[in-house]
Parts: sequence; C-alpha cells; structure tokens
Amino acid sequence: MPSEIIYKYLANEASEQEIQTLFEWIEASEENKKHFITLKKAWAITSLSEGISKDNAPVIKIKPKNKAVKYLKYAAVLLFLFGLGKIALNFNHKRKHSKEIVLELGDGRTEIITKNNQRNLVNEKGQLVAKKFANQIVYFGKAENDVIVYNSLKVPYGKTFKLILSDGTVVNLNSGTTIRYPEQFGISGKRTVYLTGEAFFEVAKDKEHPFIVNANQVDIEVLGTKFNVNAYPETSTVNSVLVEGSIQMYDKENPSNAVLLKPNQMAVWQNNSKKITTKSVDPAFYSAWTKGELTFKDTPFSTIVKIIQRSYDVEIINENSDLARQTFTGTIKISESSVENILELLKRDTPFDYTIKQNTIIITNIP
Amino acid sequence: MNINASFESETFESFKKGEEAAFTYFYDKYFRRITSFSIQFVYDQEEAENLAQEAFINLWQNRENIDSLNGIQSFLYTYAKSKCLNLIRHNKVKDKFKNDLLNHKERELDIEILNSIQFDTLELTELERIINESINDLPPKTREVFIKKRFENKKNAEIAEEMQVTLKAVEAHMTKALKFLKIRLSDYMFALFILIFNN
Repeated sequence: MPSEIIYKYLANEASEQEIQTLFEWIEASEENKKHFITLKKAWAITSLSEGISKDNAPVIKIKPKNKAVKYLKYAAVLLFLFGLGKIALNFNHKRKHSKEIVLELGDGRTEIITKNNQRNLVNEKGQLVAKKFANQIVYFGKAENDVIVYNSLKVPYGKTFKLILSDGTVVNLNSGTTIRYPEQFGISGKRTVYLTGEAFFEVAKDKEHPFIVNANQVDIEVLGTKFNVNAYPETSTVNSVLVEGSIQMYDKENPSNAVLLKPNQMAVWQNNSKKITTKSVDPAFYSAWTKGELTFKDTPFSTIVKIIQRSYDVEIINENSDLARQTFTGTIKISESSVENILELLKRDTPFDYTIKQNTIIITNIP
Repeated sequence: MNINASFESETFESFKKGEEAAFTYFYDKYFRRITSFSIQFVYDQEEAENLAQEAFINLWQNRENIDSLNGIQSFLYTYAKSKCLNLIRHNKVKDKFKNDLLNHKERELDIEILNSIQFDTLELTELERIINESINDLPPKTREVFIKKRFENKKNAEIAEEMQVTLKAVEAHMTKALKFLKIRLSDYMFALFILIFNN
C-alpha cells in the first residue's frame, strides 16, 4: 500500500476515491489492518506531545465557576470590505508602508507582530487583555467601565491577519488594512470599530450592544441574527454584502439616508453622489479571500492588478492597452500560485509580455 | 526540568483547592492536545473543541478525585476517548463520505483503534516521553515538516513554500515521519506487552 495515501488520509486530505482504495487494502489482510491501526493510533496520540500546546493557546475561554460553557455564538457574521480609494492607486505612497503588522496600543506604544513571538498584552493596570500569536491576536476579559481605550492594527500588503475582539467577534483582515477597535468594549452603548481596507467580520451576538463598522462616510450596523456584510474597496465606494440576517448601511452625516439589506444582497455607497444602491449577488464570491482565494467574475484587468498588488505586495505597471480593456473570470489560490503563475495564466487568454525587476512588474505589448 | 516539575505540582495542589488560575494553567496546556486527539475520530473542529470543553468541565467538577498531577492528563484523555466512542456508537459523528458503507467501515476501525488505547496514568506519562523523544529524534527537516503538519495544521503547499521544497518532498518527509513513529511506537507497545506478561 502506498503509505502516501495513509498519510493523506490521516492529514484529512485524501479523496473519497482514495479512501475507498485504502479501506479495500485494509480489508485485504489482518496484517494490513494491524499496520493501519498502529499508524492511526500513533498519529492520534502524538497529540500528547508538548509541541502541540506551545503556540496554539485556546481561543475559547471557559469559566469553570459557573459550570457553564461559553461557546462563541455568532449572531452576526459580516463580511466587510471597504475602498482604499485613491491611496490604493498611489504606488509610491504604498512603498513607504511598513512591511510588518503593527499594533498600536491605547497609550501610543507600538508593537511589531512577527512570527513566533507569542506574547501577552497587559494594560496600564497590569491586567492581561490579550494574547498575541504569529497569525492572530485574541482579546479577552470583560467590560468593567465605560472608559474605552482604542488599539489599532495595521496589516501591510502581502499579509493577512486575524483579530478576536474582547466580545468574541472574529475579524479577518485582508492585506493593506487598518482597523481601530476598543481594547475592551464598554458596559453601555454600541460596539464601534473603524475600518480602512477590507475585513470579514463574524460578530458575537449581543442585542443590547449593536455592532457598528465605521468605514469612510458610512456606518454599517448589525441589526439581526446571522449575516455577512461586505463593502468594497477600489474606487470611491463602500460595498457591503450580506449573507445571513440583516444589516443596515447609512450615511453618517444623514442617518435617514439608509438601506436595510436582505441576505444575498449588496449595498453600494458612492462617495461622490452620497447614494446607496442595492443589488443581488452571490455572497460566497465576496468572502473567498478569507480562504486565501482570489475570485474574479468578468473583473476588469485594472481591478485584478490592484488585488494582485495588495495580495502579493508587488507593483504592477500596465503599458498594454489591449489588456486594460479585458475582463477575466476565475479563482486563484494565493498559497498555491505565484504572481508569475497568474500572469502566465492571463497570458494564455490575451498574449502580452512582462518583465520583473525586484517587486515591480512591467506589462507590455508583444513586440 | 526540576523547577518546572515543582511548579506543576504546586499548581496541581492549587487546582485541588479549587483555584481558577491553576485550572486555567492546565486548560491552556491541554486544551489543544485533547482537541487534536478527538478530531481524529469526530472529524470536526467544532465538535472536537466542544468535546474538549466538556472534558475540562468534568475535570473541574471531579478535581477532588484526581490524586496526582499525571492524573489530570489521564482523566482528560480517558474522558475524550469514551466520549468519542459514545459519539461514534450513537451515530452522532457526521457522515464524511457519500458512500455509506465507507462511513460505516471508518467508524468500525475508529472504535477498534480507540479501544486499543489505554490512558492510565503510568502508561500515559511513558507514552508522552516516548512521543516527545521520537519527534525529537526525527531528522531535522522531517521533524519540521511533521510539526508544521501535525501541530500547526498547515497544508502541504504552505509547508513546501515556507521550507522552499517541492510538494513531493513534503509528502516524502511525512511518510518517513510516520514510518519512524510507527516503529518507535510498536517497540514501545511490544515492551509493554512483555511487561504485562512478566507481571
């Protein structure tokens, strides 16, 4: 038996077809079965290893006193994506951005988040407020008063990050995003966070404290039970896509200028006209990035360029006029594709030439 | 090592007295382990975490009956094992495959595997030592791949990229790691077998 299949099975990566073959092999002899059982047993009990608890502290908190389990229940899952507007187009500006994920604390201290430096974050009173890991920060603790201290997190181009707020709300942050949020949400009032860039929110249920995402000139308020919101970057718009439940998008200056979204709808805010429009969409398409996928559907090349620049932290200069007019459809897994892979793929559809110098890619017409 | 051991036995005493901080220490230490064990049989992250939570609630409620530091881990694993068996037997584990016969076969195998693992205090301590040693004894690259895969739940492609090797090489390292662990573990099981018969 190819042991690759056994290993794929254990790592939960084997197809049903492969597992079928594996099980047939197991049944073929008592010896095979014994071999498999020993292997799976070995795999399962390696969980005894001390390696497993080191960098993987639990995200879910438990209060043994109450003898009650506190699961994270999400009243709201919202996907939010918001336009970087002109900043996204300004390559020179981008170059000056930090290459690291930076956390700014309430008292102005900044921390750079690097790999393998698990740390505890302590507030001025010396209380533990959060744990920091290589790929995420987890805030905990309970609201004690209404003095709100804000932290902010900057995720550079080429990186993504995960933030778990003190109320249990999970925020996936895409490349080139800044979010400002309370270290601890207050006892009373709304839960407000401020976003520039793109984020996917899974909001913890709390009817008494509505959750608000402030983006540019609009607020998006979480009203109902389960839902996703998605607001757009690129141009001068804020877009928001709802998956389940209900959300409201409104003009901060003029709250009566509002729309209430139904599932599978997208609301679009126009910076210039200050109008909000809605349309029906497939929400999975707008949340694909949280799974490390880039999805395009009749997407103009200019938009694709911006997305690639953010995801891979490269600069693309397009001097090919044919390409500028093209649209593309497809899905790319970031972890499995390099920028070259993507360019080669696009080339098959519309031939072009390109050169790469350090982080700059210049696309030209074929001579 | 000694400092750590004495710290742990002090923490254990506090735990017995019902101090939450001591409980939190053990929770932080073992939560992922119990989840990581259970997921191999319930095949669902959330289910495995719920199961681990439950194990800890039971641990807390039964703290007076735990009589040694090693008893904590033994209690948690034994709880997880019997809970996994219960879930499988009562058909509470979600169907993984379209083919129902395949689901059935997997459950039967899992029951057999779970039943073959004993988590009594002595064996567990010894097993933990052997596993740590075995992982440490893997060739460096193989160990790195194994840790990324097993403990950091990384995809092959991610590992390949991080380590600048091919996908095939990642797979080869994993196969090697498994073979190695199997041999080490079989030796141990065999030794245990002799031990039982000599007694």
